[in-house]
Amino acid sequence: MSKFSRAIRDHAVPLALIAPSILVILVVVLLPLMFSFYTSFTNYRLIRPDTLWDWIGLRNYQRLLADWDFWVAFGRTILFLTVALNLELLFGLGLALLVNKITWGQRTLRTIMMFPMMFSPILVGFQFKYVFNDTIGLVNNALQSLGLTEFAIPFLVDRWLAFFSISFAEIWMSTSIFAILILAGLFAMPKDPIEAARVDGCSNWQVFRHITLPFLMPFIFIAMTIRSLDVARAYDVVDVMTGGGPAQRTELLWTLIARTAYDDARMGRANAMAYASILLSIFFTWYFFRKLMDARKHLGAF
Amino acid sequence: MPTRTKTVLIWLLTFTVMLIICMPGLWIILSAFRTNGEILTKPAIWIPQNLTLDNFRAIFGFGENVIGVPVSSYFRNSLVISVTSTFLALLIGMTGGYAFARYQFPGKSSTFLWLMLSRTVPGIALSLPIFIIWSRLGIIDTKFGVILVYTAINVPFTVWLTEGFFRQVPNDLNEAAQIDGCTRWQAFWKIEFPLAKSGIASAGIFAFLTSWNEYALASQLTRSTDSKTLPVGLMDFTAQFTIDWAGMCAMAVIIIIPALILTFLVQKHLIAGLTFGGVKG
Amino acid sequence: MAEVKLTNVVKRYGSVEVVHGIDLEIAHNEFVVLVGPSGCGKSTTLRMIAGLEEISDGEIKIGETVVNNLPPRKRNISMVFQNYALYPHMTVSENLGFSLKIAGKSGAEISAAVANAAEILGLGDLLERTPAELSGGQRQRVAMGRAIVRHPDVFLFDEPLSNLDAKLRTQMRVEIKKLHQKIKTTIVYVTHDQVEAMTLADRIVIMKDGHIVQVGTPLDVFERPVDTFVAAFIGSPPMNLINGHIEADHVVFSDGNRLPVPPDFTGKLADGRQVVFGFRADVLMPKGHTLAESGVVTDLDLKIDFAEPLGSESILLSTLGGKEIQARMHNPRPVNEGEVLTCELHLEKCHIFDASSTKNLRE
Repeated sequence: MSKFSRAIRDHAVPLALIAPSILVILVVVLLPLMFSFYTSFTNYRLIRPDTLWDWIGLRNYQRLLADWDFWVAFGRTILFLTVALNLELLFGLGLALLVNKITWGQRTLRTIMMFPMMFSPILVGFQFKYVFNDTIGLVNNALQSLGLTEFAIPFLVDRWLAFFSISFAEIWMSTSIFAILILAGLFAMPKDPIEAARVDGCSNWQVFRHITLPFLMPFIFIAMTIRSLDVARAYDVVDVMTGGGPAQRTELLWTLIARTAYDDARMGRANAMAYASILLSIFFTWYFFRKLMDARKHLGAF
Repeated sequence: MPTRTKTVLIWLLTFTVMLIICMPGLWIILSAFRTNGEILTKPAIWIPQNLTLDNFRAIFGFGENVIGVPVSSYFRNSLVISVTSTFLALLIGMTGGYAFARYQFPGKSSTFLWLMLSRTVPGIALSLPIFIIWSRLGIIDTKFGVILVYTAINVPFTVWLTEGFFRQVPNDLNEAAQIDGCTRWQAFWKIEFPLAKSGIASAGIFAFLTSWNEYALASQLTRSTDSKTLPVGLMDFTAQFTIDWAGMCAMAVIIIIPALILTFLVQKHLIAGLTFGGVKG
Repeated sequence: MAEVKLTNVVKRYGSVEVVHGIDLEIAHNEFVVLVGPSGCGKSTTLRMIAGLEEISDGEIKIGETVVNNLPPRKRNISMVFQNYALYPHMTVSENLGFSLKIAGKSGAEISAAVANAAEILGLGDLLERTPAELSGGQRQRVAMGRAIVRHPDVFLFDEPLSNLDAKLRTQMRVEIKKLHQKIKTTIVYVTHDQVEAMTLADRIVIMKDGHIVQVGTPLDVFERPVDTFVAAFIGSPPMNLINGHIEADHVVFSDGNRLPVPPDFTGKLADGRQVVFGFRADVLMPKGHTLAESGVVTDLDLKIDFAEPLGSESILLSTLGGKEIQARMHNPRPVNEGEVLTCELHLEKCHIFDASSTKNLRE
């Protein structure tokens, strides 16, 4: 007690300054999460408020483990994130290196690169719903006008094409975060090591592989960390593009949560799923944050 | 490969990439000025025959084509909610960011980490308990309810960004000001705040954009014309049997324009803030 | 108009004590330099005087006021920071006038004071520039200008010259000394550079590990170091210090060489006592290359390992008692590696330190 109150007294100013931040997070994030943790052990249904007290222990979680739809959506989410994050990194790196090569008009290109970042995810979803539409979509119109296909291609209906379409939207939206941060890394990079490596007889590829890439790693991990903070933004994109349909063909964990909670009104069960999604997000963020710290330590005091 | 061919290749590649980035957006903007009839025509009409402002008139309730989507109310709601929550998040986040940048206190790094982790909670997962609690408190479907949530989701990132910007202002300056006769408060307002101002502004704009663009939470926490935001309102169009593509495109343009302007204003600071905070621990 | 008095001042961070009860009295208008290796507590002490660090125990008085709990702004002090701490968003004249503006002085008063400070430091042409447009030396001058504008009771300098190149440092050192003669204010100056300390100070305070080791005028600490730490820290090149033991009024080194003890120690040191024999390069000179000086002299044959010609003199490096030692050669001639020179050692200026306590046995 005395040690605690003494710590408070010695650090009264900073503690008072961070108190509002803590308080608002406590009220809007932490307490609701504790509440939803509780409801995940009940049979709570929105339409029957008294079911909030209907304690059913681990049954929601047990059902979840046996729920084929959940596992399909979960697996699809993992696949979706793996594909999207890897391609975003790859394209982002390529784009950054490309823009870095260009000297004339580079500022304009950088500004254009930020374009997708300012789009609301819901707009990105709408945009690609429009572009990939089978009757009036830009892509189908173009393919038909060029005579490449006679029939409309069902981009948002076919199982794999729909997966491709939502992945495309997601990658379109987030590649620029990687490109911009990696470009910032390229700008910050000292020239000496590259020149030294050239003198030591490295080829362009070797310079990239052994000098440039290791230097860029922290920037890549920052991008990954920032990116993994809101992987769940994909919900907005998918919700407007396909709504998880048709027939759950593009169902991701997040759309399944929304459907279970608000359409089926099974709050308790949805909360159990929500915890799976929270753990997933935290896992991604924590993983890349660790990588970032390691990379920073590795590069030392630059 | 000759340098010339290489240059041409690089430019060609860049052009293609930029086309992929720009094309969908440009297509929407173009469509916003076309009629639904032209959009739906088969085979596709590539060169617009007549451009019109009718879609914008319609979504704001002027002209003969009245649509059931009250875009002007949504616009007002979005503006009120985004501005208020940005202001609050900035006030709270800046205070916290300053504390993290300038003071040592027990549990500092773990507090910072937890603050950041709170940002990872998916909006849709967070919406469930908030939906229930806000309903009980009677603040569901109100602007206040949404403002409160947006303030909270913006605080961690504002703390992170402002902390970085305050850390770039050497502590010497604050001490020099105190020796020059300032109180701690004067030293902050006269020296540290002006120097971190542009960074703080970009943190604010970032918070504004997050609120302006948010969908997952707002889609569950708002129901009526009095509280729905633009992104949620966009979905009104899809609820109808036939989609009014031109109207949706016009609304999309309304959503994107403020975001576009603000992002241009802060792009430099934003990148600096993100990389600085992350790399130079 | 103020003296500064520190009584048993202690600084603790949590449970770690970094300054252990310092006592120090600084007279009015005195220029005192706190010097010591990094981590010795000198900067912390200065910052406690400034009020930027709270003191954990003891008392600090400026003039007649106990300032322990006064914030910096109420102490009427000013400070020049290592990185100058100029306000980057203000012009030079705004930087200079900032403290007066905060104090609520009128515009006319401020511009007069700024003009005066600019005059003293030769900043006239720079008043409308921002700090980013200034060179290192100019920034340094503005920082000093900002400090003198408000006529403080005490002037604090925190390693102000460490960011300048060697030539500019020498030049600014002279300017600081001149400034002190002009404005006559109590100055507390922190540095890790003993040359700065020697050239600037009225009195030097040598600190180590949070303690004051010695306080004295530059000549005092140079000629009468209280222990081997001060002996090695002050003076360039540092004092030669060689371990040995006493045998019949001689110090015997590990390599068998022996030197007589200084005359005032004759008969006072017990045989077998472990000591450190210390002398400066200035008192060991090759025969024929000495300065005319009388006194008790002993001869010593040294095999020269290396010579560093400096023009008017050379520093000779040799080995004695297993330690590298340095001698000074006036009116130098070329010396070959391995050449043996007979040198004169002025015994009266040699020191004997206790091997375990490291204290100078002459005090």
